[in-house]
Amino acid sequence: MSETHTAEKAPVRSGSQRFRRQRAAMFGFIAPALLVYLVMVIAPSLQSIQISLTDWDGVNDAYNYVGLSNYEDILGSERFWNAVKNTLLLGLGSAVIVNVISLAVALLLDRLNHWQGFFRTIVYLPALVSGFIAATIWKYILNFNFGVVNTTLRDAGLPTWTHDWLGDSEIVVSVLLFLLCFTLGGNTTLIYLANLQSVPQELVEAARIDGASGPQVFRFVTWPMLAGAVTVNMTLAMIAGWTIFDQILVLTSGGPGFISETMAFFIYKVGFGEYRAGYGSAAAVVLFVVVLASTVVANRYMRSREIQA
Amino acid sequence: MSTTLPVGRELVDAQQADPGRSTTRPLRHRSRRGTERKRYTVGEVASMVVLAALVLIVSFPVLYALLNSFRTYAEITIEPMGLPTTFKFDNYLRLFQETEYGEAVVNTLIITVGTILLLIAIVPMAAYGIERIGGRSSRWLYLLFIAGLMIPFQVRMIPLVKGMNEVGLYGTLTSVILVHLGGAASFGILLYCSFIKSVPVEVEEAAHMDGAGRLRTFWSIVFPMLLPVTSAFVIIQALGLWNDFFVPLVFLDSTSAGTINVAINRMVGLLTSQWELIYTGAILALVPSVVIFAAFQRYFIKGMSIGAVKG
Repeated sequence: MSETHTAEKAPVRSGSQRFRRQRAAMFGFIAPALLVYLVMVIAPSLQSIQISLTDWDGVNDAYNYVGLSNYEDILGSERFWNAVKNTLLLGLGSAVIVNVISLAVALLLDRLNHWQGFFRTIVYLPALVSGFIAATIWKYILNFNFGVVNTTLRDAGLPTWTHDWLGDSEIVVSVLLFLLCFTLGGNTTLIYLANLQSVPQELVEAARIDGASGPQVFRFVTWPMLAGAVTVNMTLAMIAGWTIFDQILVLTSGGPGFISETMAFFIYKVGFGEYRAGYGSAAAVVLFVVVLASTVVANRYMRSREIQA
Repeated sequence: MSTTLPVGRELVDAQQADPGRSTTRPLRHRSRRGTERKRYTVGEVASMVVLAALVLIVSFPVLYALLNSFRTYAEITIEPMGLPTTFKFDNYLRLFQETEYGEAVVNTLIITVGTILLLIAIVPMAAYGIERIGGRSSRWLYLLFIAGLMIPFQVRMIPLVKGMNEVGLYGTLTSVILVHLGGAASFGILLYCSFIKSVPVEVEEAAHMDGAGRLRTFWSIVFPMLLPVTSAFVIIQALGLWNDFFVPLVFLDSTSAGTINVAINRMVGLLTSQWELIYTGAILALVPSVVIFAAFQRYFIKGMSIGAVKG
């Protein structure tokens, strides 16, 4: 920025020459990353649109253009809408619940005057367990015959409480939602905590002197000051939520039947498992539109309620 | 963060208690006195108890897997709630002897370290270029990179498999590294650009006058100043890459031992899955994450809050 200014003020020729050479050098700096990014992200994303207009099976070289028929099939497919419903339920549901949990944990941490660093560390530790590893362990804990949940229930004399947790189509999505929310937030909590600690203490004290109760201080002082953190955390959680995959593959493989498929799993299954790459690509393009639209809309809405501190 | 704020509060307290005192007195002395005076309140102790209980509950699956990694298959299935009778590392040995786990660990290491080295070689430089190129190009390039944050991996997955097949890279660790590079570039640019904005241009100009080339100026003057971001970026990426499952699942076929997660997933898929080895593998996979976190916690927490705290 400031260099642009000096270039404008300096004598025309030498200034612009220096500027141009500088631009060339800077472009050289950007080029390697830009190349990788264009080849690995932008080009394949665009190619996705092209493949979505074909009947390519993902294996053979030959394919035909079929126009928008993949999109028609998808939008008329009950299986796809079920995946959309699950994605909304699991993605948005877990985003909201995990944010509530994280904020509650951050508020508890913020109250500590002693040992805060220690508690912050142990609260973060469970977040080091990846979704994949956690799901793998849960798969065995929830096993129908030998899993610790069902055997404990049987031993406790409650055999009617046992369920085929991951195989019962009535409850499987709720079980998945529970497992996704079985966390203390990790990064989300850290971001809330950092923001809580940047709330000016004078504001809180002023409100207290004016006779505000604890909940009132939270509602009218802390909560408005956290609006920015809520935007960041909800946006991040939603982007992650739209692409929930690991837990589905490990725990249910989308089953029983197609009951617990998410959009990300649907794309993977259709594209690679069922040799319908064109169809899968169309679903991927729909997913992209959903992610883009929801991120923009959510950001608009949440920014509008942020106060400018 | 956690240390500065209480000091500030205590300073205010101290001033109110003794207005005659000068505020230029050594701060350390006063803050120490301040902490001594702080009492444990009921609310604080209750918060501690609740937090500790929550951590225990949420850690249950991992603790359960840890205990069972010391038990045999028979013990686990006959008495799932039982405790280990001995702490022998038999399962840990068997994991390396009977499965491809060892090879998978090496693969995961190569992918994680390789991706990070390449990211550090290209991303900070690119972010610097974007910030310094100036004018409209600056803004457009930035937006182009940031757009990648909204492109889920699933959207580019099918064409990438097709492309990797065409160039003969499918099934190789290189393909996984390349795919990760593209995916991580956006976040890296976001992180570095927000930081480079605050690096003064004058320092670079001085080095430039002294005859250092653009490239040398960057690596010897600017890059060291970016250390806080670099450490945060490296730690966040290291954990993410180590834990990733989807990309290697898609790009590594059965010709490769896969990464740790892929190897564990293959063991899960077996008809005769050995629960004790799966628990053991899951626990071992966590060790590097815990070590990285323990060693770099300070940078880590700072990295999480870069750009996330307003004002």
